[in-house]
This record gives sequence, structure tokens and C-alpha cells, in this order.
Amino acid sequence: MRREKRRKIESYIALSLSTLAALFGLFWLIFILGDVLIEGIGALNPGLFINDPTPPGVEGGGLKNAFVGQLMITFFATLIGVPIGVLGGTFLAEYARGRMLARMISILSDIMVSVPSIVIGTFIYAILVRPVGHFNGWAGSVALAIIMVPVVLRTTEDMLSLVPWTLREAAFALGAPYYKVIIQVVYRGAAAGILTGILLSIARVAGETAPLLFTSFNNSFFSTNMNEPIASLTVTIFQYAMGPYDNWHAQAWAASLMITIFILMLTIFGRLIIRWRYGKR
Amino acid sequence: MSDDTIEIGVKGLNFYYSGGTHALKKISLPVYKNSVTALIGPSGCGKTTLLRCFNRMHDLYPGNRYEGEIIFNEMDILSNDIDLIDLRSRIGMVFQKPTPFPMSIFDNIAYGLKLRGIRKRAELSESVEKALRHAALWDEAKDKLHSSAYDLSGGQQQRLVIARALAVEPEVLLFDEPTSALDPISTAKIEELAVTLKRDITIIIVTHNMQQAARISDRTGFLMLGELIEFDKTDIIFTSPSQKLTEDYITGRFG
Repeated sequence: MRREKRRKIESYIALSLSTLAALFGLFWLIFILGDVLIEGIGALNPGLFINDPTPPGVEGGGLKNAFVGQLMITFFATLIGVPIGVLGGTFLAEYARGRMLARMISILSDIMVSVPSIVIGTFIYAILVRPVGHFNGWAGSVALAIIMVPVVLRTTEDMLSLVPWTLREAAFALGAPYYKVIIQVVYRGAAAGILTGILLSIARVAGETAPLLFTSFNNSFFSTNMNEPIASLTVTIFQYAMGPYDNWHAQAWAASLMITIFILMLTIFGRLIIRWRYGKR
Repeated sequence: MSDDTIEIGVKGLNFYYSGGTHALKKISLPVYKNSVTALIGPSGCGKTTLLRCFNRMHDLYPGNRYEGEIIFNEMDILSNDIDLIDLRSRIGMVFQKPTPFPMSIFDNIAYGLKLRGIRKRAELSESVEKALRHAALWDEAKDKLHSSAYDLSGGQQQRLVIARALAVEPEVLLFDEPTSALDPISTAKIEELAVTLKRDITIIIVTHNMQQAARISDRTGFLMLGELIEFDKTDIIFTSPSQKLTEDYITGRFG
């Protein structure tokens, strides 16, 4: 009897502690998101999207340059990172399946996922900014692409491994060569999963500041030239939040809200694909 | 009833898996044209290994090694200069679990045809219908040719896979325990199908189910530990086998 009572007390304590820890985490999450939402909505106005920044201290102006720059950097990062990630994942799951080499690349790629993004930023600074002589948009895209590659690579590998091996054998038994088996049968079976991995990797890099600070830097003027410094929302938020002007702070809040919504939508979209494709069966 | 011409002749076949396991030991047997040949034996006896030699499925995994010959249409299937794509369109295969591709019913069946460069819609449609009729699936599938193959039941999926293999008009069809994942009614349909199909093609079937072998096959080979213990007409194997081991297995004393 006594032992049972003690167990119940222990269980109660463990339950209370873990509930408290969860509530503590949740409190800050809601606090941060709520703050971004309230301050951000207050600062939102159409001018934010159609105007470029005004000189410091002058009222008005918007962040058109940063929105366009952010889209361009992310777009080219996706263009560079996704093919490398998907092809690399295909190599690991199909051609090098079970080999020592595949295991090593997988482990390295897992380490890459957790490398601080500022390290990647400084690395790209050394190879793509210093030699060129000035900050440029391409360096930013490459830095983000490097962050994307391991995420896409590992998801692709996992998703391809989930496709039953017998499905490949069935295609081989019809006389298909391996590359056709991969493209026509295996990719089709894993498409939703790979697409989700791509979306989540975009969401992952869309909020990065550190790698851009060292590469694409910032630009107060509207520019679509990837060879020159180019503005991005995250670096702008960083710069405006540190600045002394009230309208800078307001715009930083609005930009924070927009980027949060963008990432939230990508994530929700990714989850919806997973549920639609894998939830039913 | 069955023709007595030999479609495939296995001669002194040895097979080694990449780990060195000697999985088939000096197998020799004839496969007669337009008949059903059943391979039976306890788990791990090598019957599936033998089946997968006929379309060189073992080539997918490096390190596997064949010795001996399998003669089909005057050529040796095991020779290095055989065109595997051609071989696999002449010797089709149906697996234990249904393996529909993640695409529509139509595209599933057209897959093998497209691999062979047939692109014309009319030609594809005609072949798809023919294959589905052949596999006794046309009536159930004709109204949903363009919906996903996964919408079919397990038994229908297995017939779809048979139709897919038939679409490229093979001469031989290999069945690897095709009904072990199916209910009795679907099983009966597949068995019926196998018996009908032998009018046009030759069938080799691996089965765990001895009643099934007795019901549908003309000849039966009994394997144990990688050796072919006995090969004969099915009624002889099941009524008066010459080997004690065969009799013990058939009467359920082990296995």
C-alpha cells in the first residue's frame, strides 16, 4: 500500500514538473508571437510594400527593396540548393544504399544541419565576397543554399528509402533501366515527401540573418542586381531594430510579422501535403 | 494436355549469394511450353532463388554469382551478353505482394509498353484493354482507368500487376507466391487465370500452398536445402513420389 502511494506521488511530481516546463516554453512562444502580431499589425500599411526606404529620419517609405531582395535571394538559393540536395539524397538512397560512403555522407550531413549559420556566412564571405571585393547577392544565395542542402538531402534520402524495394524490383522485372525506375516510379512514390522537405528547407533559410549579413549585406536602394549588395528582410530587421528612429522600429515589426507569416504558411502547407499524402493510408 | 516441347532448360545451375551462401546446388530441370510448373519446398529451400534466376533478378545485387546454364530460345539466359531489358520483356514476373506503381491503372499497364517506345495513344489504349481483358480485370476497371491503382482491392491489384506483365506479351510468366497475401476468393480468381493463361504462355509458380500446386500445375519440382529432390508430373509427385523426402513433405511430416 505504501509503495503504491509513493509511486502515485512520484508520478504526480513528474507530471507537474513536465507540465510546468511545457507551459513555460509555451508562454514565451505565445508572448513572442503575440508581440510580433500586435506590433506588426499596427505598423502594416500598403506603403510598406510599394515604397522604397526614405532617408533616415524622414517619415514614410517602405521596404519594397527588402521584400524583392529577400525573394530573389531565397529563389536563387532554392534553385542552387534543391537540385544538389535531391540528387545527393538520390545517390545515398539508391546508388550507394547500405555502403560505408553513404553512411558517412549521411552523418556529415546531419552535422551540417546543426552547424551555426554564421559559420557558413563567414565561410562564404571568405570564398565569394573577399575575392570579389564587395558584398553581393549571389554570395547570399549560395550561403542559404548550403544551409538547405543537408536538409533536402536527408529528407530525400529518407523518403526514397520509404518506397518499398519490391516496387523497384517490379519495375526492373518489366525491363526498366535504373534511371527510369528512379525517375518514373520511385520519385513518383516519394514526391509528396520530397516536396515537403523542400518547403521546410525554404522555411528554414527564409528566417536566416547571420549568413546574409556577411554575404549579400544590405542595400538602402531598390536593386535586382545579384552582383551587388542586395537588401533582405532579415538584415533590414536587424539594422532597423538597432537604429534610433521610431518609424524604423515600426517597419522592423511589420517585416518581422510578414516573414513569420511566410514561414508559418510554408510550414502549414508542408504539413498539409504530408497529411494529404500519408495520413489517409 | 500440355505440350511436350521444352521452353526453358536448366542445366547444372549453381547459385551463390554475395555472402558466399551456396543457395542452389546443381539444379537441372525442364520447363515445358504452355504448361504450369510449380516449385515447392520448405522455407529457405531456394525455390524463390531459382525463380529469380530466370529473369536475372539477382543481378540487381552486386556479388551474386551464377554457374551453369539456363537455355531459353537457344540462348543462355545466364550469359553476359544477354540483353536484360529484352529478356525481362519476354519473361515477366509477378511478386508476392501486389506492386502497382504510384500512377493510374492505365499508366501502370502502359508502363512496359512505353519502355519499349510505344507512344501512340490508340495503340496503347488497345493494348491496355487487351491486357486487362486477358487478366480478367476489364469489367471491374474499365470505368476507372484513370484513377489511382491504389484504389483497387488487393486481389484486383494483383490482377492489375498480371495485366501489366501481360501487356508486353511475354512468353513466360514467373509467379512468386502470387496469392499468399490474398483472400480465398481472389486466390481462386488468380488460380483460374493461371490455368487460362497457359494456352498462350508458359508459367512457373513458386508456392507454399501444396493444394495450390496440385490444383493448377502440370509439373512440380520439390526443392530442399538448395537441391532439386524430385521433378515430375504433378499427379505423380502428389500420389506416388519416388523420393522418401518428397513423400514426407507432401504428407506434412515436416515443412
